[in-house]
Amino acid sequence: MTEKILTRNFDRADAHTLGAYRETGGYTGWEKARTMEPAGITEEVKKANLRGLGGAGFPTGMKWSFVPKNHTGPVYLVINADEGEPGTFKDRYLLERDPHALIDGMLIAARAVRCEKAFVYIRGEYVEPYRRFAAAVKEAYEAGLLGDGLDIVVHRGAGAYICGEETGLISSLEGKKGWPKVKPPFPAIKGAFGMPTIVNNVETIAHVPHIVNRGAAWFAGLGTKTMGGTRIYSVSGRVKRPGIYEESVGITLRQLIDRAGGVSGNGRLKGVVPGGSSAPILRADEIDVTMDVDGLRNAGTMAGSAGVIVMDETVSIPEALMVVARFYAHESCGQCTPCRESTGWIYKMSERILSGHGRKEDLDTILDVAKRGAGTTICAFYDGAVGPYISYIEKFRDEFEALVTDGAGTRARATPAPVAR
Amino acid sequence: MPKLTIDGKEIEVAPGTNLIEAARQLGIEIPHYCYHPGLSIAGQCRLCMVDIEKAPRPTIACNTQAADGMVVATQTERVKETQRSIMEFHLINHPLDCPVCDQAGECWLQIYYMKYGLYDPRMVDEKVHKPKAVPLGPHVMLDAERCILCSRCVRFCDEITGTGELGIFHRGDQSEIGLFPGRDLENKYSGNVVDICPVGALTDRDFRFQVRVWYLDTAKSICPGCARGCNIDVHVNRRRPHHAGGKRVARLKPRFNAEVNKWWLCDEGRYGYGFVDDASRVTTPVWRSEPVPWDTAIAEVTRALGRHAPDAVGVVASPKMPNEDLMAVRRLAEALGTRQVGFKVPPRTPGDQDDLLIRADKNPNTRAAELIGLDGDVAGILTAARSGRIKALWVFGHDLFDSAWLESDVTLALGALETLIFTGTNAGRTSALAHLVLPATAWVERDGTFTNWEGRVQRFRPAVEPLGEALPEWDIVGRVLGMLGHAASATRAEHWFVDLAANVEAFRGMTYQSIGETGRMTQ
Amino acid sequence: MTTVRMEFSAEQLAEVRRLQGLYPDPRGALLPVLHMAQDAFGHIPLAAEEYVAGLFGLSPAHVHEVVTFYTLYFQQPKGRHVVAICHNISCYLAGAPRILEHVKQRLGVDVDETTDDGRVTLQSVECLCACEHAPMMQVDDRYEFDLNPEKVDRILARLR
Repeated sequence: MTEKILTRNFDRADAHTLGAYRETGGYTGWEKARTMEPAGITEEVKKANLRGLGGAGFPTGMKWSFVPKNHTGPVYLVINADEGEPGTFKDRYLLERDPHALIDGMLIAARAVRCEKAFVYIRGEYVEPYRRFAAAVKEAYEAGLLGDGLDIVVHRGAGAYICGEETGLISSLEGKKGWPKVKPPFPAIKGAFGMPTIVNNVETIAHVPHIVNRGAAWFAGLGTKTMGGTRIYSVSGRVKRPGIYEESVGITLRQLIDRAGGVSGNGRLKGVVPGGSSAPILRADEIDVTMDVDGLRNAGTMAGSAGVIVMDETVSIPEALMVVARFYAHESCGQCTPCRESTGWIYKMSERILSGHGRKEDLDTILDVAKRGAGTTICAFYDGAVGPYISYIEKFRDEFEALVTDGAGTRARATPAPVAR
Repeated sequence: MPKLTIDGKEIEVAPGTNLIEAARQLGIEIPHYCYHPGLSIAGQCRLCMVDIEKAPRPTIACNTQAADGMVVATQTERVKETQRSIMEFHLINHPLDCPVCDQAGECWLQIYYMKYGLYDPRMVDEKVHKPKAVPLGPHVMLDAERCILCSRCVRFCDEITGTGELGIFHRGDQSEIGLFPGRDLENKYSGNVVDICPVGALTDRDFRFQVRVWYLDTAKSICPGCARGCNIDVHVNRRRPHHAGGKRVARLKPRFNAEVNKWWLCDEGRYGYGFVDDASRVTTPVWRSEPVPWDTAIAEVTRALGRHAPDAVGVVASPKMPNEDLMAVRRLAEALGTRQVGFKVPPRTPGDQDDLLIRADKNPNTRAAELIGLDGDVAGILTAARSGRIKALWVFGHDLFDSAWLESDVTLALGALETLIFTGTNAGRTSALAHLVLPATAWVERDGTFTNWEGRVQRFRPAVEPLGEALPEWDIVGRVLGMLGHAASATRAEHWFVDLAANVEAFRGMTYQSIGETGRMTQ
Repeated sequence: MTTVRMEFSAEQLAEVRRLQGLYPDPRGALLPVLHMAQDAFGHIPLAAEEYVAGLFGLSPAHVHEVVTFYTLYFQQPKGRHVVAICHNISCYLAGAPRILEHVKQRLGVDVDETTDDGRVTLQSVECLCACEHAPMMQVDDRYEFDLNPEKVDRILARLR
């Protein structure tokens, strides 16, 4: 049984209070980090193999080390609490049930990157989590943990998935539309308000006090060779016990589904999305993979936000495609041409396929358009969109072909599908 | 200075040069929409992709600065496939408006599709619909469906005029260029967004449906609207006189000059050419309200001027006249022996000025008129006319009734004259009182030079034929000089420029050749 | 042109200035201040956008960009309550379309419409990140989990 680290306090009713947090050893990591050199903290986090848990899986210590050494102005730490990846809900729990863990981690991270002002960007829909976290920040100020070396500004978003992309988040924090920024320059060099900025996910930072307290080797040993620690899996869809599960990053997908009670629906697995909706789907015969970043990448998908969406045999994959295509079309920020134009188009095609007016060539069009657009955009949103576009059709082609006409590929205009928005 | 290789060719460029500009210096085109050298980098269209050695994927060229040792390839299969993909993305929701769109023929979707697209379209679903034919201010028309959301216009209004009227609202493929509802595109440079719009989303209202661009000819010119001397191209319609309501000048466009106006032109200058083809143009010499041949008119002018004592003859030149013509007027004044020569007429409304291009002096050649020595007291000349001390007056260009002076004063002055000669392009209240009206060519109908407020001498070229019997002022004055017995050896404006350069210190050493396409500063 | 005047009270203005002071560039306070405006005025009409633009020294067009970009800002008046039903993948698999139909019938409105009595505005939204309790919805500030028609009826009945 994996030791509960991040989730250890979740069932306490007062877990979110400073008192309860201190009782369970809270802020001792910060006490220890205060005696360490900033570079030393970064080294420890590097050796721990902590990787970003928001979706990109980037090595955290390495990201921290990108801040220019000779920079004399402010450095900003920005916490990405804009949880929005479909199938993911872990950060909601952390904000509501253990907000001080985030503050604890932020204090340490801020010391490591020499930040004196940090921002926490919470998605606008998370009102209760925002209130909990803001209250915890207030407690921390009153206890003198904040305000003497680190200030935290809590910032609510206003409803846009793209603000989960780190530079989209920065744009939004700056008071603009959530348009991601053209890179280079990268945020660690020039980010929020023109200053070096480190953007980290809530859960990633919540691990940091434990790494400092118990050591990098311990943390690294909990996981796989290239990724340390545990992470909180959000399991939903056709499982018997949907919910959060804190497990080693080395757990296999099969084991995780078992932990969650196994497949519901008709009890037989059709496919699983392992890392939030942007992760390519895995078939029932592909679930013996470790859930770490490299394990899932080698399986042709991604660890992403660890949002595990289970689909039993009664799920219609073409319907699932329409649902996620609708999501990406709605959330495309519209800044760059490939994503803006094709997310809407592919959604229309997916609707048309469901309505019975799809043609076989439409399936190849979706695949071709997705492959042509991947890698050409300002940010990875579109690469996330093509995850389902391509994997659903390639891995479950027969379901789609059953819905489309065996068209001769005529140029005659198909009956336009209703534009549902 | 970084040295890099593009398509096998080596080039050294200034630090900070992006790859689009570096390639341009080698004559290599990297297609692009959102990039504009006068605006910030947007990186939105994704068309300017190139392959850079060691980069795993094609990279956008606009946001990549040339680095020493960089190896760039613009013609790889991967780049070509990416360009074709990006063209398809741009055209997915684009309306098939070409038959009714003014941009046709100079549309960068058309041009790049033919060069980099050439795929079979496969979009059969309903396209996104947005507002069409939306006026943005008096000069610009928006078609939001045609817009490719390159954001050049938004950046222009933010970065160049600082007025921020335009935005991109909503998101995804519902994104739409627009104004704040209820507001207008109010800045004085609104026409520039039409220039920089690569497609037919932003078009000129005054050019709308007038004439197809492939019928237009072009000539390099200078805007005569103020003392800035913005460089322009004059686009004229000679081939389809039954289009555009018969107007010969179809539109003016800015021409890049790094030292004067960069890429921009103000609206007043851009849309201020209406007088050229207006019905009020004077087209034949007129004497006592009767049209007469040039010889007759010139003879009468010479007689009228010659029969008075020198200082009983006055000349009001115009700071709208080119350098050559002002030089001719100086020679005329010398030949007549008169010192009653001026050019400054105060405008009724003082001009406004800004930090960008607009100068308060709404004349293109004030500087030259000063340097050439024509700066006499025009108010004094009019007073002298009123009192009968000046009996013959030759007015070039001005309608004195449009000045700051009292209309009654002007009436008395002009009415007291024995002979009032008017030379100009359009009839007005001064020409109505003139005994002799001599038609002058508009600046687009001839060549010559202006000297801008900083002393930059710039050439303009003829774009159309003179209207009717109009002649350039230097020719009219030259003919009078000839009749006065002075050798009239000038058959081209350039001959007068030679005289100018030889005899006015500020212009010493200048030739038409040395002025070139970007102008030359006076001493 | 906009005619209705929208202004903050002196207290609210002080809060605006305080928020602006928290950010290295005061513009960073725009989203929070727009939330304030929506709380104060009920929604964010054009007059409010112009007013807020003035407080930030921004062109109204750029405030309009922000208001139209984000889904939580209402440009039109909304009901006293906002019911937002998630229609993304896990909720879809748990029967969200049926819940949505049920609510539409109960309220007598379509998506993005408000009931005649001004009580409820209905929305169908993307993932609210509570998939373990699918199907679910957000009612004003609260998440409501594990919906079925009966539970939905009880929740709607409590909305005045």
